[in-house]
Amino acid sequence: MANEKVTEELCSYARKGNCLIGADRLGLVALVLPLSYSRMVRTPRLCIPTQSLARGGVFCCGTFSVWWNRTLRRVLTLLLMSVSLTSEVTADETTTPRTNGWWALRALSVDRPLVSGAKMIDDFIRSDLERRGMKRAPTADKRSLLRRVSFDLTGMGPSPGELDRFLADPSPEAYEQVVDRLLSSPRYGERWARHWMDVAHFAETHGHDQDRIRTNAWPYRDYLITAFNSDKPYSRFVREQVAGDVLYPDDPKAAIALGFLAAGPWDESSLRDIREDTLDRQMARYLDRDDMVTTVMQTFASVTVQCARCHDHKFDPISQRDYYSLQAVFSGVDRANRAYDPDLSIHQRRRELQKHLSLLEQGDLSELSRPENRALLQRWESARSLAIASWKAIAPETFLSASGAELQRQSDGSFFVSGRHGPTDVYTMTLRNLPSRITAVRLEVMPDDRLPQKGPGREANGNLHLSEFQLQLFTPLSTNGLVVPVRHASADYNQPGWTIEQAIDGNEKSAWGVHPQEGEPHYAVFALAKPLEVPTGSQLVFVLNQLHGGHCIGRFRLSVSDHESVDDLVALPISLDRLLTRSLAERSKEDTSHWSQAVLRHRWESELSHLPLPHYVYAAASDFAPDGGLKPAGLPRPVHILKRGEITQPLAMVGPGALSCIAAAGLPGFPGAESTDEGSRRAALADWLTHPMNPLTWRSIVNRVWHYHFGRGLVGTPNDFGKMGDLPTHPELLDALAVWFRDEAQGSFKRLHRLIVTSQTYQQASRNPAVAPDVDPDNKWLARMNRTRLDAEQIRDTVLQISGRLDLRMGGPSDVQFDLQPGIHVTPKVDYTKFNVDDAAGRRRGVYRFLFRTLPDPFMDALDCPAGDQWMPVRNAQVTVQQALGLWNSAFMTRQCEHFARRLEQSARDVDGEVREAFRWVFNRLPTAEELTDFANYAKRHDLANLARVLFNSNEFVFID
Amino acid sequence: MNFLNPLEQSCGPDINANSRRAFISRLGAGLGGVALWQVLDRDLLVAAEAVTPLAHHAPKAKRVIQLFMNGGASQMDLFDYKPELFRRGGQTFDPGKGLRVEAATSEPGKVLPPQFPFRQHGQCGRWVSDLLPHVAGCVDDMAFFMAMASKTNVHGPGSYLMNTGFLLPGFPCFGSWVSYGLGRIADNLPTFVVLPDAKGLPYNQKGNFSSGFLPSQHQGTLIQASAAHPMADLAPPESERFITSASSQDGLALLEKFNRSHQAARTEDSRLDSRVRAYELAAKMQLSAPEVFDVSTEPEQVRRAYGLEDPASQDFGKRCLLARRMIERGVRFVQVWSGAGGPTNNWDNHTNIAKELPPMCAATDRPIATLLNDLKSRGLLEDTLVLWNTEFGRMPFSQGSEGRDHNGGTFVGWMAGAGVRGGAAYGESDPWSWKAQTDVTTPYDFHATVLHLLGINHERLSVRFNGANRRLTDVHGHVIASLLS
Repeated sequence: MANEKVTEELCSYARKGNCLIGADRLGLVALVLPLSYSRMVRTPRLCIPTQSLARGGVFCCGTFSVWWNRTLRRVLTLLLMSVSLTSEVTADETTTPRTNGWWALRALSVDRPLVSGAKMIDDFIRSDLERRGMKRAPTADKRSLLRRVSFDLTGMGPSPGELDRFLADPSPEAYEQVVDRLLSSPRYGERWARHWMDVAHFAETHGHDQDRIRTNAWPYRDYLITAFNSDKPYSRFVREQVAGDVLYPDDPKAAIALGFLAAGPWDESSLRDIREDTLDRQMARYLDRDDMVTTVMQTFASVTVQCARCHDHKFDPISQRDYYSLQAVFSGVDRANRAYDPDLSIHQRRRELQKHLSLLEQGDLSELSRPENRALLQRWESARSLAIASWKAIAPETFLSASGAELQRQSDGSFFVSGRHGPTDVYTMTLRNLPSRITAVRLEVMPDDRLPQKGPGREANGNLHLSEFQLQLFTPLSTNGLVVPVRHASADYNQPGWTIEQAIDGNEKSAWGVHPQEGEPHYAVFALAKPLEVPTGSQLVFVLNQLHGGHCIGRFRLSVSDHESVDDLVALPISLDRLLTRSLAERSKEDTSHWSQAVLRHRWESELSHLPLPHYVYAAASDFAPDGGLKPAGLPRPVHILKRGEITQPLAMVGPGALSCIAAAGLPGFPGAESTDEGSRRAALADWLTHPMNPLTWRSIVNRVWHYHFGRGLVGTPNDFGKMGDLPTHPELLDALAVWFRDEAQGSFKRLHRLIVTSQTYQQASRNPAVAPDVDPDNKWLARMNRTRLDAEQIRDTVLQISGRLDLRMGGPSDVQFDLQPGIHVTPKVDYTKFNVDDAAGRRRGVYRFLFRTLPDPFMDALDCPAGDQWMPVRNAQVTVQQALGLWNSAFMTRQCEHFARRLEQSARDVDGEVREAFRWVFNRLPTAEELTDFANYAKRHDLANLARVLFNSNEFVFID
Repeated sequence: MNFLNPLEQSCGPDINANSRRAFISRLGAGLGGVALWQVLDRDLLVAAEAVTPLAHHAPKAKRVIQLFMNGGASQMDLFDYKPELFRRGGQTFDPGKGLRVEAATSEPGKVLPPQFPFRQHGQCGRWVSDLLPHVAGCVDDMAFFMAMASKTNVHGPGSYLMNTGFLLPGFPCFGSWVSYGLGRIADNLPTFVVLPDAKGLPYNQKGNFSSGFLPSQHQGTLIQASAAHPMADLAPPESERFITSASSQDGLALLEKFNRSHQAARTEDSRLDSRVRAYELAAKMQLSAPEVFDVSTEPEQVRRAYGLEDPASQDFGKRCLLARRMIERGVRFVQVWSGAGGPTNNWDNHTNIAKELPPMCAATDRPIATLLNDLKSRGLLEDTLVLWNTEFGRMPFSQGSEGRDHNGGTFVGWMAGAGVRGGAAYGESDPWSWKAQTDVTTPYDFHATVLHLLGINHERLSVRFNGANRRLTDVHGHVIASLLS
């Protein structure tokens, strides 16, 4: 092994007195100080190529070298500390076998039987504290505890009433009852969904130069809120977000979870607008999948596979092949608007119909012989004959050509057109003698020997183009015609690209044509939106707009029907209807099969078109309406290993797969590279991730949840369990929690929260008088609770709650809290300053804000709310000038101060009372005597709104003990 | 992520809870999990303070003004003089060797000759097109990257690459890295300021000046030069009548007293103190910033020289003047944009170079030359670096018949001021200005070079985020020494 060789070299180097070496407790980090020359190298040992040491260790991802001279003393001090420390810790940890591979990849193991309940946590924490001569802090006071757990679980502080009740309840169960109340509040899901949105880097615009709005992104946010509130088991939660459509086809809402894969940015210019044949397009596809792969693997497995895009991972055992295999998992999907039916019965019916149609498409005729379909065909046989018989040709009183052509009535009720032949024409036929009820109109276009190529059009090739068909009703009392709406148009034949729908689309440039089937009869049926009841004395006007290059109709006939079931009137190939005129005995087997297929296809398509319109979610999709250059892949796109990540240097093609370094028994495999079913690729990854033997998944999630409760994970880098990440402070506790969560809690988040927040570790005070401040200042060993700064949503939601303006309506499209105008190009113009803070869109919880990726809300931005352009497993919690300006001056804050003042005025009789009430809301306590004097004086000199401004800006409000 | 602020002594309130003491104690708890090298590196940065403020080596430049031409300025119509193109106008473009010719948004057309005459200027004899008569007069102060190469032909990723070193969103921009690495000079003004075009934000909007995963105080502070309130939240809304200057003043005093008493029982938490100081600084900024934005105090001839009297150059000129005022008062990094996002009214001249490029030049030429001369005469150019950049160049062949499509193959950038060898040039494109040919400058090289001038070793300015030590220069970058004095 090269690594051992390097180590050995270093050691011998050190023995000769040339340098000092320190190593961390697992021997994974070496600190090398060459004394012979003034250069210091520190590099993860496992990855040092020997020559890079000589060069000073300059390579990707984490090695460095520093010239130094003035700071020799300091470096030496640090170094010696680390060396002495190493020996100490090593002695401590001799039981950890170094050869057993990286901690995060080892199988989950629990050495001792798990203690039940939260004591499990406290035991582990206590033993580590004791080993370091520390003791945990006393339990926090009830006020701090209630504030802490309320903000933590629901994102908002307790109301004065809630605090009063908690203080008044001396029973030992009071705290647990509070926890249960908070966990069953819908506010819980809103809070924890927002955490998940940070990790998924969710926002509602594309985030590049064409930062288009995703109108359908929000259903995924609602999915998250519902998932947390309903305590969806974690395994199912993961599986739905990777392959919900495949794994839970009967759950109409599982596909919404795929919003996870599409949550990140998308480069519309490169993936939709530039030319398909460019390298830029290909590169963008790889980068787009890189985002999906990174999102999935960081979130669920806490591994940084993305570091293996240009070369094998420098620090973790992840090869480039592994990385590109993961790309292949997603090579059949794009980010697009994905249709779904929230209603179960519609969802099921649509799926059935789509399946029938696709089988028919593939030539599978087994459906034809099913009894219900046979019955359907029999019914159709008689219904269709009745329908056909219901057509009545009309005899219009007036008929005009706009271009001055001559319309001659023929003996069969049709019209022949001759004479002037302009580039465009409009035929207008007026009918007075009307049937009392009309459900559909039929337009027949007929061949005629007098027309070029026998017609039915007048153009040299015999084709016609019907731009728009319109029906107008003039009742006796009205002077203006009413346009009679047409619901559906069908034709026996459509010229490719010139379909009958284009004759009712309101667009005069598009039209219906029949090329290349000129010289034959054709017809179109226009089904009215609802039966037309014709008042006596009315006139009906039929308008045939033909606005396309002389493609005018040469011979035609109009008929109307009053047949009730307009579906039976639909236009079908004429040959099929001819078949009906023959007796069953006269029909050939092929004819019958052909007819049956056509009829069933029609029935199914018709039923599909009658289903309620689907809903849409912006999600990963393999089947979606094409949008410019963005089209479904069809089959998974080929994925190659790219040398140095360069699109110009493709190497071998790879099939789907995951991490080859995890070889736990029973982990499921992947379909081969030849697999054409993209869904099975994602399903395989979902299986792989959620397998009980996968060591990463369960550690990853309990650590993430721990992080949100304590402000720091047991592993400080929740998205990176690799060698560049932090080591677990309490590896045994981490494993115990992971196993407990997987087996005992069955992936229930609410049970995990409960376990954690009812532990003594969680309930201790944030100050520990028994531990000196410079011992463990980062509080790694948890001898006290961490004090946390409220995050952006916590501040915003709680200020709204206190001001009395919070609107608790849940779900639905996001609240747009800016003025939105069309931009110069795709990206709209967004102006936050023009938004009226008091607008209804400004009053719901922050999780419902519309998230504009390239232009986030400046107030929330200053409070470190992620913009959705990066995965944010740990939010920054800085203290900045811009933050102070925002809290002190922004329109949002200053408005809420006024609302709060109005609320205070109504709640107390004098200024002292108002100050007391203000303290109860903002800090959940009463003011001291001195505070009361100070603040009452201030409120008298200025007013209550100014008082609120001071309180909202205080450290006591912004920090939670 | 572990943040250890390199500048904790000097950056005012923007302080992370971590302190050196915390660091040492962390060591005591085991090296595992600590971004030790970062700490050491920062320690060295801090230690170097005696030599110069907070740098890896002695810096030449203390501050930066970056002028960014949004859209892809046409190099062969401005600086990259190619006689071959004049000769071959109207011919089919064929670079030979069977090389594939493609364009991002169009079918490649015939060779489109440069639309404007070129002349040589200055002692150095640099060729500049007649579109830039004033800038042409400064060439002896400027050093040119004549063959820059991007990785993309698309605005979004291209702008990200030139601003953040990555093709994708979410990475800290150049200005943020400088703010993070060097900290603030003045405590009454923001460290990194962005002045967008009055017509709107550039492609990627704030994505181009985001602090990515760096703490938010390092993101570009947006100053809307022509708006009534150029900086957000500097003052409460006028509609909020309850706020008076007396109520604010008394309020801040009461807030401080209240915060101090809260802190008394929590002395170990430095964030509480930082927040108190943040309010002090915010108050200072409220007083100082409006004075900076007010250019009416500048003498008439200065305003005229910056082009403020001419409608064509008014907006850009005002922002160049503001840039100078900010630099003077201690802003570390000012980015001035020319052109908003979208397909027109910027440097993205797809339809007609001869019509679309001259107005952009007219808007910027005089202000830029004035800025350089003004800085020089005030002695500010000694330690200020002025940069002129764009996200990529344009094609030697036409789009339609008179426009040019995007070309990441080669483009031009220049710098002037502190540490720059005036009159120098580096690199050369092919005879058609289609691809960079010799001595290519990547965006990484460009960033490495300017960071070097600021006293920063680009390989050592890094932060660990989601598994990797991220740098402005990714894993690339070489300092282009030949352009340095």
